[in-house]
Amino acid sequence: MIQLFNVTKSYGKENVALREMTVHIEKGEFTYVTGPSGAGKTTFLNMLYGACKPTRGQILINGINITRMSGRQIPYLRRKIGVVFQDYKLLNSRSVYENVAFALEAQGKKRYEVSKRVYKALKEVGLEHRLQRKPIELSGGEQQRIAIARALVVEPLILLADEPSGNLDQEVTLEIMELFKRANARGTTVLLATHDHSLYKRFPKRVLGLEDGRLIMDHQP
Amino acid sequence: MLDNISYFIRRALRNMRQWPVLCSAAILTMAVALATMATFFLVVINIQGLATSWSEEVQVVAYFQYPPAGNQLAPLIRKVEAFADVKQAIYITKTEALKRFEARLGDDAGLLEGVSRDLLPASLEISLKSGSHNREGVARVVAELKKDSRFDDLRFGQEWLERFENFVDLLKFVGLVLGSFFLLAALFIVSNTIKLTLYARRDELEIMALVGATKRFIQIPFLLEGALQGLASGVCALGFLTLAYKLLLQKSLQTFWLTPVGFDPIFLNGNQQLILVLCGILLGSLGSLVSLRKFVRL
Repeated sequence: MIQLFNVTKSYGKENVALREMTVHIEKGEFTYVTGPSGAGKTTFLNMLYGACKPTRGQILINGINITRMSGRQIPYLRRKIGVVFQDYKLLNSRSVYENVAFALEAQGKKRYEVSKRVYKALKEVGLEHRLQRKPIELSGGEQQRIAIARALVVEPLILLADEPSGNLDQEVTLEIMELFKRANARGTTVLLATHDHSLYKRFPKRVLGLEDGRLIMDHQP
Repeated sequence: MLDNISYFIRRALRNMRQWPVLCSAAILTMAVALATMATFFLVVINIQGLATSWSEEVQVVAYFQYPPAGNQLAPLIRKVEAFADVKQAIYITKTEALKRFEARLGDDAGLLEGVSRDLLPASLEISLKSGSHNREGVARVVAELKKDSRFDDLRFGQEWLERFENFVDLLKFVGLVLGSFFLLAALFIVSNTIKLTLYARRDELEIMALVGATKRFIQIPFLLEGALQGLASGVCALGFLTLAYKLLLQKSLQTFWLTPVGFDPIFLNGNQQLILVLCGILLGSLGSLVSLRKFVRL
């Protein structure tokens, strides 16, 4: 599903974010990407959804070389990938419903289909009773669940989560992990970047360890 | 297709409702820019209108050494009126010339008492066709008249005409320079205002790109929004201009001492009003497009 071959990403001569990274992730796998701050976790995820291109090396997703994709093709790649961030990236001027619907509207889906799927996604994350509220009126955990609903509503092949529990307490983190596990059980490949050791001890899955831009560990439970 | 169009319109309107302050700021900025340019245009066309009506006063007066005999006058007038640049030739007798002079002297007309009634020469007052109220037209008529020995003297205000033409040229040049300056300033201010409004909404643009919206999908609602704001600003500018014209320009032009009697101040005609509103739409769309290129990067 995801293949990286000798991928290097540098910003200028001095600042190398990823070094010669080669890794294969199978379809339907749940993988943690771990490492201290500045290890290259975010750069790794960013490259998978086309937010930046590697300086050297190739990345294949579903057999397609995304490093050769033009700017016009990137939106179509992103439609297959759901992304969840630590800071949620929600529109506070829009309702919960509109935030989730945004992802489907961007793909040109019909109105009735949008409303059906948005309701289903919000029910999945337990927010179907908060449809018309603004994200800012909700708790951090609920905001992150909106972001997860937005990522899942498009039924992505891959779900990327960058420190999704960074701002949340233990109890909410566990609820969120359950959502990721359920998505994974439906066949979505999940990559979760975190520096929280307790997470992968509690939910043991494959772990890719990064340090200073290098892949230093690839551990299967 | 229809679904998409209605979605884009809905989103453009929703965006405007959600950001009323930014939306009003953009509309006001564009309205002020358009109104400034349109006011300037209005002033220029009115001054040019004034100048044209002044130029209609340009005529050639040909004085006779001896008044023509009765049977020679009609053929002479016909001959002069046959010149390409001449609209009309009117014969002024000696008596009539003296009457006019008396009228001009007003209260001092008594000075002419006892003066011979044939003191002043008879003349032909030759008015010119509309395209000939210039130095070249006058020169052609004068050249033809000089060939006729019956005319003793020719008066055509050459110096005044030269000054007048220089004034009109200056007016056109100042109009062009100031007009270009206003246009550039308006474009600069409008594009920066729209840039600011988009900057305030950069999160929205970022998230749209993140969830797989194409560049076109992101840009069209913003372009529509720009066009709608431009339409509103065009209408506002037209309203402002109508008020300014009715309250200020029309009155001041009518009371201007150099305004000829019967000169009607000019307002924008239907096409020009339409062009003003279309300029608003174009300004809003172009301003959005230029700014979007900076913010929407996939």
